[in-house]
Amino acid sequence: MFRSRSWFGGGLWKPKNPHSLEHLKYLYNVLSKNQTVNESNRSLLVETLRSIAEILIWGDQNDSSVFDFFLEKNMLSFFLKIMRQKCGSYVCVQLLQTLNILFENIRNETSLYYLLSNNHVNSIIEHKFDFSDEEVMAYYISFLKTLSLKLNKHTIHFFYNEHTNDFPLYTECIKFFNNPESMVRIAVRTLTLNVYRVDDKSMQKFIRDKTAAPYFSNLVWFIGNHVLELDGCIRENSEHEARSRLADLVAEHLDHLHYLNDILLLEIDELNQVLTDHLLHRLLIPLYVASLDKNFVVTDRKQPPKVSSILALFLLSQVFLIVYHSPLVRMLASILIQENEGVFSLKRSSSGTSTNTLEACSDNQILFAIDQTENTTPAQSTSSSSLAPPALDSHDTLSVNNVKILSQRPFLCAIFDSLECAENDYAALFSICLLEALKHNKGIHVELLNSLFHDTTTVLEDGQFLRVYNEPLVDKLITIISQTVKPDSKVRIVTLTLAVNLLQKIVVTENGEGESFLKDQHLALIEGAREENILLLQNYYKCDEMFLELFEDEYLDMTAAKPISVEHLMMDSNLLLPPAGSPLSGIAFDKRLPCGEAERSRRSMRVYFILRKLSLKLRKESEKYLPLTNTQTCVHIDDNLDLTNSDLLACTVITRDSVKTRRFLVIDIFQFILVEPSQKRMGWGVVKFVGFLQDIEVMGDQHDSRCLHITVKSSPTQQRTRTPILAAKFMFDDHIRCMAAKQRLVKGRQKARERKLHMIGKLLDQIRSSPSPPQNIRRMQRRAMNRGDRPLYVPISKALPGLAMVVNDGSRNEKGRRKSREASPAVQNQVHDEEIPLGSIKGNSARKSISSSSQASDLNGPSSNSSTSTQPSQTTKLTLNISSEDAQKTTSSVSNGKKVSSNKDDVTTPHHETSFISDVSEAGSSNSNNVFEEANQVTKSADVTPQHSSHNNGPSPSNSVFVPKVKKKGAIETV
Amino acid sequence: MSYAYLFKYIIIGDTGVGKSCLLLQFTDKRFQPVHDLTIGVEFGARMITIDGKQIKLQIWDTAGQEAFRSITRSYYRGAAGALLVYDITRRDTFNHLTTWLEDARQHSNSNMVIMLIGNKSDLESRREVKKEEGEVFAREHGLIFMETSAKTAANVEEAFINTAKEIYEKIQEGVFDINNEANGIKIGPQHSPTSPSSPSGGPGSSPGSGCC
Repeated sequence: MFRSRSWFGGGLWKPKNPHSLEHLKYLYNVLSKNQTVNESNRSLLVETLRSIAEILIWGDQNDSSVFDFFLEKNMLSFFLKIMRQKCGSYVCVQLLQTLNILFENIRNETSLYYLLSNNHVNSIIEHKFDFSDEEVMAYYISFLKTLSLKLNKHTIHFFYNEHTNDFPLYTECIKFFNNPESMVRIAVRTLTLNVYRVDDKSMQKFIRDKTAAPYFSNLVWFIGNHVLELDGCIRENSEHEARSRLADLVAEHLDHLHYLNDILLLEIDELNQVLTDHLLHRLLIPLYVASLDKNFVVTDRKQPPKVSSILALFLLSQVFLIVYHSPLVRMLASILIQENEGVFSLKRSSSGTSTNTLEACSDNQILFAIDQTENTTPAQSTSSSSLAPPALDSHDTLSVNNVKILSQRPFLCAIFDSLECAENDYAALFSICLLEALKHNKGIHVELLNSLFHDTTTVLEDGQFLRVYNEPLVDKLITIISQTVKPDSKVRIVTLTLAVNLLQKIVVTENGEGESFLKDQHLALIEGAREENILLLQNYYKCDEMFLELFEDEYLDMTAAKPISVEHLMMDSNLLLPPAGSPLSGIAFDKRLPCGEAERSRRSMRVYFILRKLSLKLRKESEKYLPLTNTQTCVHIDDNLDLTNSDLLACTVITRDSVKTRRFLVIDIFQFILVEPSQKRMGWGVVKFVGFLQDIEVMGDQHDSRCLHITVKSSPTQQRTRTPILAAKFMFDDHIRCMAAKQRLVKGRQKARERKLHMIGKLLDQIRSSPSPPQNIRRMQRRAMNRGDRPLYVPISKALPGLAMVVNDGSRNEKGRRKSREASPAVQNQVHDEEIPLGSIKGNSARKSISSSSQASDLNGPSSNSSTSTQPSQTTKLTLNISSEDAQKTTSSVSNGKKVSSNKDDVTTPHHETSFISDVSEAGSSNSNNVFEEANQVTKSADVTPQHSSHNNGPSPSNSVFVPKVKKKGAIETV
Repeated sequence: MSYAYLFKYIIIGDTGVGKSCLLLQFTDKRFQPVHDLTIGVEFGARMITIDGKQIKLQIWDTAGQEAFRSITRSYYRGAAGALLVYDITRRDTFNHLTTWLEDARQHSNSNMVIMLIGNKSDLESRREVKKEEGEVFAREHGLIFMETSAKTAANVEEAFINTAKEIYEKIQEGVFDINNEANGIKIGPQHSPTSPSSPSGGPGSSPGSGCC
């Protein structure tokens, strides 16, 4: 396009090579011939300016003479001349972009210095462009930002003139700090940060003395306005449009805080002092802190605006989460924790003048009421210094536990009061967040925090520490827990989670193994709440068909999800609206109230898991029963299995893309396994596919009676989205075998589910004992061993001590236990016909009821009925039978009773109790080990009398139910 | 220069992958690629047409500002589209994509359209990252993918325009809240008669001072 106009400039021929000194000379000629901008030469000028940028950069990279010529001819002055005419945005934009390109791409330091040396750049910066044109504005601010990226100790002197106290780059730029265009605001912030970080004392002094007070007071004033707007937005609330506006305002406030924090992090002491002062006395104290206290009525006739206490809690949490600058957070924290309203009267005396300044500054006349603000700054610093010392010194003499004193501290009182969630947990959530944020803030004195959470740690005579915690606070937290388990509770999961987390942080030592020093009456309250929740959950257990799926899903959800972080919560603007109760709100389940019965059931499960975890933690126990499926004890792909004498179904697996594979199907108690014969050992198989029986779907084939269509979905423990991991046609040898396979699969699926449901039932049944249902289930498993099912396959470690042993050694016990679950007849029989295995379960619960008789005055009176309520009676005689039969079990049942009673009488020594339990369980596991050996020996006899089993009344060794029977039906295929 | 919509883009990726060159290449076609000239810019704007509508793209390069958390945060939030760029001749720039993406997803609004760009496709002989790898990464993370060359201008146009198309479609579907400018989308003056074409502007825009 240039070629067509090449004659216009006249004078010189346009050289063929656009990248050459000659071309620049030519362009120089064009410029000097067209010093006046008019309609006809506008395009030519634009193209000239663009070409100049191109050649200069090319010169910078290839030929230094180009740059020399540019400087020699002082070509930048042409730029100024052009822009000082009414050149229009078209030319302006090109001019700015040329400068942008120039400064962005120059690599040669000296070239840069030359460009900057004649002060033209400062003149360009000061030039009043038409900033109402958004394009000009954007290019202009980018230009300034580009320049700021070139700032360093040397270049700063080209921009900041010490003698004239002039720094146009900075002062011009900050005029746009509140520009409606977000990208412009960001550029301004970038520039200020880039300026501050240049280590030049005189420049920093200029910033502090001449600009800091007005700039920061404006900044703070606008943040305050933002917050008021936010408050208004919450009040109007709920409409979708308002919600995106709300989200935006919250994010904006975070942006502000991050920006302020970025400044503070540069650690320019003098600047930080001014900033801290402004922030504290013009925003954080008069607006945020003052809004906390609902009772505090401002008497001043110039009522400073306030926001809702909920918003105040939210904003303060954000502050403490983001800003760690010690002088600021210490002061703010000590005011929150220790001060009373006096802090305002102190403050307002000084802020009278500053309000004026703010108003003055609020006009667009930003630069700057310097004189005025300079006057106020010293006044403020005196006021702050008069306030600070008592605040910081007094904390160790005060005790938070003293209620009387608490009443003199209205802010702390307000925070504590917000923890109340009888009506809803709207404020409580933020109150916990604020406490959590305080606790984590590294800028605050540890002593001050201790006075809030712990009281002082006293050293007892024997040299031991007596750990005391803030009881009113812990009371409040536990009340939240208790309110959560009420049937129509208004406490959201997120609030419970946070309350539990905070509680743990207060009462469990951080070092070592995490010793809890929670007082017994508090522990009892938590256990009480846990049991109440279990009662609630039992109802759903009985009624909900999908209980198993929901239960496993919720557990996974809880364990797989990232731990709730307060930081993230404090970014979520939705929480600022009153707690929602419907999924239609688009708010995540844990952040709203449940809607409908299914969600209430989900919620109870969630609460169950959370409280179970808490209870275990406080007792220093580890989780042994969840998740229901321990993936480590499952069969995995490529495992080698000894399948001698196992039920195997030969089949051909035909996938959708018609690939045929010959496999043997093994149906375990929980798993669906496909193996191929091992090359190395006769009778062994290598696992090629595993899925969970509970996740399979089986369908007959309409056209071929030898075929089944089997779909195995991924289990929730493997993947969140339950996509099929196998969908194929299985062809068996004949239709009999096919039918048998179908039957076994269908039954296997049903029974796998029943087993798991039963395990859940066991967990929920354990009301009075510790959160683990230890003795019962374990004993049940052991007994099952004795009954001696023939294992589906022999674990490798058994069959081949030595090499394979290494692989499987660790899981041996586990496997044994798992086998025993398989053998446990409890589930299927309980549901169906036989009463025997039911007895084995009931034996446990009955034994428990025996032990519970020894605790008639149980702490949890009403709940003692519930253990029996889940299952029908017909138990007692069996109980006797069992407990007499197995001495070792009796011991543990006694110990069980003992344990529970110790729970009752001896609540003062929970640690004691814990260790006792762990003793028992240790003994238990070593027993089960032995039993496992036995079980394998008994296997054969079980084989002989499979039919007998169902008629047998006692938990005798031959009471194997499922596998042998099926084995008879499903024809035997050996490898 | 009226437009129906204005979309704000950001360009992210390791240093030296050619972000600013891509930007200049797209916004100013008059800079013809030459082998002995590497030239880029941090900001640019250009008008394109989609579906018969004039759409203005504003592209902001965020280079050099990673040191400040507040800045990156705000940039992401204010953009409707992001070009995530790596250099096909440098494996490490590809390896860092996950971090970039995490950052972007964390700070941006969830509707932001992200396009993955493998730049310097002209340097086939020095290629370290296969095209397929880029495709797989994009598929896994739900991004649009393209290999470009700022040097030869190959696909540069398409990269920016396809991103714009995607944003435009999202607007048609009503996914974007276009009334909230914080999303990086602005309705042009002709679309909103209530707002005057000239924004109130910064304090510096006193009426008398304009000379241009």
